[in-house]
Amino acid sequence: MLLEWMMNGHAILYTGVTLAFWSTILIVGICYTIFDLGFRFDVAWFLTETSPFMWANLGIGLAISLSVVGAAWGIYITGSSIIGGGVKAPRIKTKNLVSIIFCEAVAIYGIIMAIVISNMAENFSGTTPETIGARNYQAGYSMFGAGLTVGFSNLFCGICVGIVGSGAALADAQNPSLFVKILIVEIFGSAIGLFGVIVAILQTSKVKMGD
Amino acid sequence: MAESRIHARGRLFSFILLFFVGLSSVNSTAQVPLVIWSTDSLPPLPSPSAGHISSDQELAVYLRPVFASGPHTVLLFLQEKLSKDDLTHYGGVFGNKQDSAFKNLEAALRSSSSVTFPALEWRSPSAVTALLEAELGASPVLADPDTLSHLSIDTSVNNLLLINLPYCSDSLKSCKELLHDNDEVLGKALSVLQTKGIPYISIFTGQQPSRVISETAVPQEKVGRSLLQAVAPDVKPPIVFNSTGNPCIMLWAQNLNVSVSESTGWIDLAAQTPNLTGSTCSSSSSQLVLRYPSGHVLSFSMSQRFYPVSARNWFSLDTVELQVGGVTASYVGSRGIYAPAEYSFRCQSVNNFQNALLVMNSTNQSLSQWRLNFIDFQIQGFSLNNGTNFSYASDCASFFTPAIWMGLLTSLLMLLIFVYGLHMIMQLNTMDRFDDPKGPSISVPQSE
Repeated sequence: MLLEWMMNGHAILYTGVTLAFWSTILIVGICYTIFDLGFRFDVAWFLTETSPFMWANLGIGLAISLSVVGAAWGIYITGSSIIGGGVKAPRIKTKNLVSIIFCEAVAIYGIIMAIVISNMAENFSGTTPETIGARNYQAGYSMFGAGLTVGFSNLFCGICVGIVGSGAALADAQNPSLFVKILIVEIFGSAIGLFGVIVAILQTSKVKMGD
Repeated sequence: MAESRIHARGRLFSFILLFFVGLSSVNSTAQVPLVIWSTDSLPPLPSPSAGHISSDQELAVYLRPVFASGPHTVLLFLQEKLSKDDLTHYGGVFGNKQDSAFKNLEAALRSSSSVTFPALEWRSPSAVTALLEAELGASPVLADPDTLSHLSIDTSVNNLLLINLPYCSDSLKSCKELLHDNDEVLGKALSVLQTKGIPYISIFTGQQPSRVISETAVPQEKVGRSLLQAVAPDVKPPIVFNSTGNPCIMLWAQNLNVSVSESTGWIDLAAQTPNLTGSTCSSSSSQLVLRYPSGHVLSFSMSQRFYPVSARNWFSLDTVELQVGGVTASYVGSRGIYAPAEYSFRCQSVNNFQNALLVMNSTNQSLSQWRLNFIDFQIQGFSLNNGTNFSYASDCASFFTPAIWMGLLTSLLMLLIFVYGLHMIMQLNTMDRFDDPKGPSISVPQSE
């Protein structure tokens, strides 16, 4: 059975990629150790030499893209259940659009945060870490963190709402009185996306990029 | 028996000609081929190694025993010019035997015992004649086939008959025709002697080589391959400061360029010899002061201490000071010039204006024009341990630049996202849980 699993194309691909990744890490680590060049592995150098703009824009990109992934996933799960259940019980389709709207809200949080964060990105004229200044570094890292925060929160919120909405649709198809109760669960699920947005706003509140 | 002997002679002649072909590409000093054949048998000559040019001595040594056994008549065919190339060019050696211009010569070599000197060192036009004269003790008699038939030859004494043959010149005849005519003369002369019944030793050679391939002079000192680039200049030794007899600070740079203003231009301090007075050295700090005859003073201050996070000693070049005409400019280098204390620091370019590792300390406007540009700079202030070699050089250039790291990070992130998406799509399957081919198909109500 293991052989059957191994014969699967996915498994071979992922095994190969994992093997390549870990062997690269192992060999690089061994070389650093053998040649006593461990001092050249400098995380601080990496963080100060890389541009704050990279971090800021990664944050913006992740904010919107992860939120959209969450929303899309949720809609896909809910939508397929609504469509499937709607075949036997067509009355469910109008009421269950609420679940879709909850999923969509997550994507809207993501795009709002992405716009808010991108408005904070300003030009600065420094080129070395001293001339760039601590505030710009802080801005870059904050924007990255905020993007990550809102992105991942919305990702899992979207999935959560989607799965719950799917259950709601199918339960509604069986018994119409169940829908309202399950909707409460969905509301709790969508609150967590909102938490992510609030924290991201707090993170970027002190950001001031520029000279 | 006779056929096999003729066959053997033919093979011998073609082998001789091919031998000429093989050897013709090698030698470049003046040389002339020489062929000897005789009605009597000639002693065998060990074949010379390829490229060997026989000297007159070797010819004399060979001929002496031949001539010693009684009186001989030697018929010398002296072509004005002869080289191996003529024989290969016109000898029909490339399978075109019918085009050969040396048919009589070939026939003679086939029918008589013969010996060849493929390359005889040539010194002067009359060398062979003089040698034969000396060996035989007879002076040469000029002849040609017509006079030869009228000549009475006394076989009881040594005779040297000399037939001069012309070589190709810019005459009306083509070279091949001329050589063919020479061959005819040769054939006629031999037949005359044969009809007379006189045993002879016949030699065919040239007065001078017709073609000398001159080699370009090979420089004798360099055998083997060498680079064609310009000769690298001698590397000057590093500047070493000794404290209590042991080397303490070492500095090497290809150029130590300083410029005070645009108009004065660059001065390379590395070309001058510095005075090291004022330099100090201790376990935690070192200072190298270079006083140059041109009045410049360059000083490097380094310090070393233990850093607890990385748990090792690091040294840094804290300041570089340049003093020109009483004015001192100070540059901070500790930001970028550092290395573990056991190693030296090396950088291709240490300057204060482009990717500057040296940053001006003060804001004095007049000093802002000053430029420092150290090229191929290596410095070590600690841990020399009595040796005068630099320790391992920690280079200022890292393996990946920050830009490469940024690109790698972003690309890998996008690749991860792509792979994740691909995985999700690839594991979508059509639901077949409720497939029941034998059961009734589902009924869809038409109304709610």
